[in-house]
Amino acid sequence: MTVRTGTFLRLALLLRGPAALFLYLFSSVFPAAPCVAAAHPDTLKIGVLAPLSGPYAAGGTSFVQAATLAVEQANAEGGVFGQRVTIVVGDTQGRVDVAKAEALRLVSREKVSALVGAYLSEETVGVMEIAAAQRTVLLVPVAATAEITDLVRREYARYRYVFRVGYSLPQWAEMIAAFLSDRKVRRYAFVGAGIRWNRELGETLERIVAPLGIAPVYTAYYSPGNPTFDTVAVAAAAASPDIVILADPGRNSVSFLKRLRESAPALPALSIGGALGDARLAASVPLSAPVYVQAAAWRGVSPAATAYVERYEHRFGAPPVGYSDTLPYDAVTVLVAAWRKAGSTATEAVVPVLERGTFAGTAGDYRFDAAHQAVWGTGPGALRGTFVRWERDGARIVFPPR
Amino acid sequence: MASPLPQVLLDGLFAGGTYALMAAGMALILGVVKVINLSHGAFFTLGAYVAYALAERGVGTPIAAAPLAAVIAFAFGVFLGKSFVNPARSHPFALPVGTLACALLFEQAAQMVWGPHPLSIEAGAPWIGPGGLVIRRWGVIAFLSSAALLGGLKWVLSARPGLPLRLIAEDEEIAGSLGMDVEAIRYLTFGGACAMAAAAGALLSPSGAVTPTMGRAPLLLSLVVVIVAGMDSVAAIFLLSIGLGIFGNACAWLLSPQWSYVALLAAVCLLLSARPAGIVVTAGRRD
Repeated sequence: MTVRTGTFLRLALLLRGPAALFLYLFSSVFPAAPCVAAAHPDTLKIGVLAPLSGPYAAGGTSFVQAATLAVEQANAEGGVFGQRVTIVVGDTQGRVDVAKAEALRLVSREKVSALVGAYLSEETVGVMEIAAAQRTVLLVPVAATAEITDLVRREYARYRYVFRVGYSLPQWAEMIAAFLSDRKVRRYAFVGAGIRWNRELGETLERIVAPLGIAPVYTAYYSPGNPTFDTVAVAAAAASPDIVILADPGRNSVSFLKRLRESAPALPALSIGGALGDARLAASVPLSAPVYVQAAAWRGVSPAATAYVERYEHRFGAPPVGYSDTLPYDAVTVLVAAWRKAGSTATEAVVPVLERGTFAGTAGDYRFDAAHQAVWGTGPGALRGTFVRWERDGARIVFPPR
Repeated sequence: MASPLPQVLLDGLFAGGTYALMAAGMALILGVVKVINLSHGAFFTLGAYVAYALAERGVGTPIAAAPLAAVIAFAFGVFLGKSFVNPARSHPFALPVGTLACALLFEQAAQMVWGPHPLSIEAGAPWIGPGGLVIRRWGVIAFLSSAALLGGLKWVLSARPGLPLRLIAEDEEIAGSLGMDVEAIRYLTFGGACAMAAAAGALLSPSGAVTPTMGRAPLLLSLVVVIVAGMDSVAAIFLLSIGLGIFGNACAWLLSPQWSYVALLAAVCLLLSARPAGIVVTAGRRD
């Protein structure tokens, strides 16, 4: 193939307009990397893995904001060993391969002392391999698949660096079961995107609620490519459940709830840890029937939770959604507390402290079981999550009873 | 209501209307400019954000936002058409990659301006029809708008004002030899198609959540519709959109929601293998 110099010249002239536009927009869009820590010898780094682009960017951004807030709080309390704490962010894009590559970059090049993340279960299982290979502490705030703690239990020596702050699927299901029982629900519809977390939760919930005389009357997992919300909403309403459970952590929970309200205005709905924790979104949804949201913590649950919500609101201009922000905040808080207790950031010193200690967080007190799963349940100071109901003037805590 | 099936089919009709609304602009670009524009979904998103911005300030409904969104998108579209699409048109691989880059850049810009969190506009209560049928407002708007838009497009293409478009679609060299400014018509057409996508985004914004990536799914479906229907028949595009909407919903109802998309794409593959040039192809057309 012969390429003449004139061809390049013409191409360069043709592309000068788009190139200028691209450079202008690029510099506007990516002015700097504000979350990336500046290299400083007296700085302790925490690697934060979250999707900041792609379909899960909303949850990922809350995740990073909360982690930022947590290190700011830690620094306001004097830092760790007199050193400032910073976060270095890796954008996982919601993809396993990217999450693994970013985890490796953070550990090997950025020299972070520990990792917090990732967001999706699939990503997190991939990141566990990096944490295990690099012998780096990994705190998992959001991903709920059983595989994470199963791996720790089965291959303790390899995965003992991994601790899950967030709830496991059985813990989620037990909390939902208690709420359904409290609301006198007997029949429910379970609807969500066809991702791993939803399917596992649907199956676990069905098993856990069966002894309580509660059963699903309709279950559907839609394809994210063509979700057919209207058909699912019609079918869910036609099954006459007492409540519809929306197991979708993203924007689809809003779209589906709108369809559901059109098809069945009087049917209550429960959104599990999704975007509906956002007051701005909830305000656009008809409240002709109760809309409940399950969250890790909420304003008014405890003084710590209220303080966190107020700090978050003051710092970012909007209240947290109570799940994809609260748990990462607590993960960083637990990690910093463990470093302080251990007197070191060395993995071998921190792991035993995490295994044996109790750590105060926004959602309650964190203790880890043999599989390194935070123990959620009942009892004073226990982590138990909360359920709120949206009203026109805001959300009210409806469960656990106070 | 005795059986939900009529409701499912009616919703399929509305879903088809949404595909048709997006496909109208895509057909114009593919037919006249003859490029695959992967930034079409970004203009859909732009329209939705314009509607949200107006609704948030309480100064307009999505219907009122549609013309404003169309004007903004037209200006962007003309700029993109003139500065990138026209010059790079002779490089077949550059255009899809370049327009995809523009779409991703827009998604990032939207994320910077409006944030990554989903936003939402009130959809309004639906109307209740005979037998308790729920008639969704956004569905009616999508169906009527797409019928009007595609009907208008059909009229323009068959009447005297559409002669330059038809001629350029048929043979650019002859159009140029007749003194037509082919380049200008192409970038204006590109801008017009972008305006259609933005209007569609504004009109459909209350139906779901407004996010930076919301244009991805409609982009794929509209591209599928236009390629399968062929670019020669506006009526075929409309009817195929409606058909696929009803088919997708019927599959979701009769099989399972997760199989709906698979069944839809399988049907598309079958149609394409039977008629690779599209369902309706005008005999003797030159490309």
